[in-house]
Amino acid sequence: MTELREVAVVGGATTKFGLRAATWPELAQEAGAQLFRAVPGLDAKDVDSLFVGAAEPERFAFQSHVAPLAAEQMGLAPRRILQRTELACASGQSAIRSAYAAIASGLSDVAVAVGVEKMNLPSMAEANTSMACVMDRPWDGAHGATAPPFFAMVAQRHMLEHGTTAEQMAAVSAKNHRFANSNPNAQFHEKVFSTEKLLRLPLVSPPLRLGDCSSMTDGAAAVVLAARELVRGYTDTPAWIRGSGQYSDFHNLANAGSLTEWTGMRKAADEAFRSAHISVGDLDMAELHDCFSISEIIEYEALGLCPPGAGGAFAADGSSDLGGKIVVNPRGGLLGCGHPLGATGIAQAVEVFDQFAHRVPAARQVPDPNWALVHNLSGSANVHSMMIYQRGG
Amino acid sequence: MAGAVPTVGSGGRVPGPPEPPYDRPPFLLDFFPLEDAGQTRLAKFFDELRLGRLTTTRCPRDATMAWPPRVVCPTCHGEEMEWIELPKRGTVYAFSAVLAGAPLGMESDVPFVVGLVDLEGVALRLFGRIVGRPWDGCEIGMSVSVEPFDVPDGRVFYRFRAQP
Ligand SMILES: [Zn+2]
Repeated sequence: MTELREVAVVGGATTKFGLRAATWPELAQEAGAQLFRAVPGLDAKDVDSLFVGAAEPERFAFQSHVAPLAAEQMGLAPRRILQRTELACASGQSAIRSAYAAIASGLSDVAVAVGVEKMNLPSMAEANTSMACVMDRPWDGAHGATAPPFFAMVAQRHMLEHGTTAEQMAAVSAKNHRFANSNPNAQFHEKVFSTEKLLRLPLVSPPLRLGDCSSMTDGAAAVVLAARELVRGYTDTPAWIRGSGQYSDFHNLANAGSLTEWTGMRKAADEAFRSAHISVGDLDMAELHDCFSISEIIEYEALGLCPPGAGGAFAADGSSDLGGKIVVNPRGGLLGCGHPLGATGIAQAVEVFDQFAHRVPAARQVPDPNWALVHNLSGSANVHSMMIYQRGG
Repeated sequence: MAGAVPTVGSGGRVPGPPEPPYDRPPFLLDFFPLEDAGQTRLAKFFDELRLGRLTTTRCPRDATMAWPPRVVCPTCHGEEMEWIELPKRGTVYAFSAVLAGAPLGMESDVPFVVGLVDLEGVALRLFGRIVGRPWDGCEIGMSVSVEPFDVPDGRVFYRFRAQP
């Protein structure tokens, strides 16, 4: 195999996430402004490539061909690679992985990965319709399959098979909402959610309550990636990409197999750890895809942080909180920050970079983090995408 | 949602007599499959469903049974599929309900139950709507049967009905 170049994230930023009075192009402009402010050494002329994570702009913004649109909005003129990456909820990480591949292979030297999603529409039923076409639309979506009822079935089976409780699921949400209280860009930055309060919120899809579900969110985020020899021009604290992994083996729900054993995530993790030459015990923090509280519980198990079935207890006893075995979702997670599909994976990478640089408020700063993992699932957890970062400097 | 289908300038079609008003939801807001033989090679599935039979495709070379039905075998990539009839009874493996956040066209169905159903005697777990019992009266392991139902515009689809 050809020698790959080393690649690092050298800076990044996110817009405010939430119910935003801003269109898709305006969010892209904001991401550009935030990015250039966060990375003072960045010159637009140095950015040779742009990767745009966007899940459903055709449906949410009635706009295709968003890669050149984003470039124009951000004041960039890519001369090597310009492309959109679409992988539903993992579209943002897909943009970073593509930028990483481009730089590692030598096709790009400095690339921007931006994620943009505008999800709150005048008609929420129309937005929900778009969410249902992430599934196998004519065969599953037509029955009313959106994410909440699917992940509700996952939770129902996990409760049946492992005795997981509503209180344990609420513990995940309470932790991530608490972290979001120290993240001004989070959708629920100023909202306090105790476990007791979460358990009183209305059911959306039983057994999942409102607080077990991430929300429809408008937002954007961007990172810059650079080849090893150029890294020092941008930062003293690069986040080196040391490994990655991905796995998918089904799409239609009939082919999902066990709802509670996410074997695809296990396989993606095996590849990510193998390529980074580390094991799960080396991680200091992880940004896991908590689209629903039950997702984070099963992700602990699939990652090997705890035995199968023990994820609920792992959340409830503080093992995934500051002072625990690993800090999971210090950014506030999808539950606390909201989930603008294309932007989420990029915002997670921004958090890793800021954590490594000790640039986040103390209430969510992981003590001296050296290794971080970012995970996104997409659709019905039928794709798992992962990246592993190491602190440089 | 009525409005004439444009005939001039769209795909080079020759102007002809005016077409009847297009009274379906806009295609990009229409969940149900395209069913007729002019649009899909799987029209037989819907013809059989109309007669009350649930079917899918199987590869005669390696016996790979697929869901949803297909035109190419995912195992050997052969293109000669055969149709097989599936059992219509099954048991619920998991279920939930949509109490809020329904897609367009499904808002008036709320609350509705969906579930994954293990069909009897065949290795197939199908997702679908479950009717005939409120969500808080459903349980894992309960018996359901497959039934066709009419989509208002003349198409047909399937769902599960809880057994009494
Ligand atoms: Zn075959």
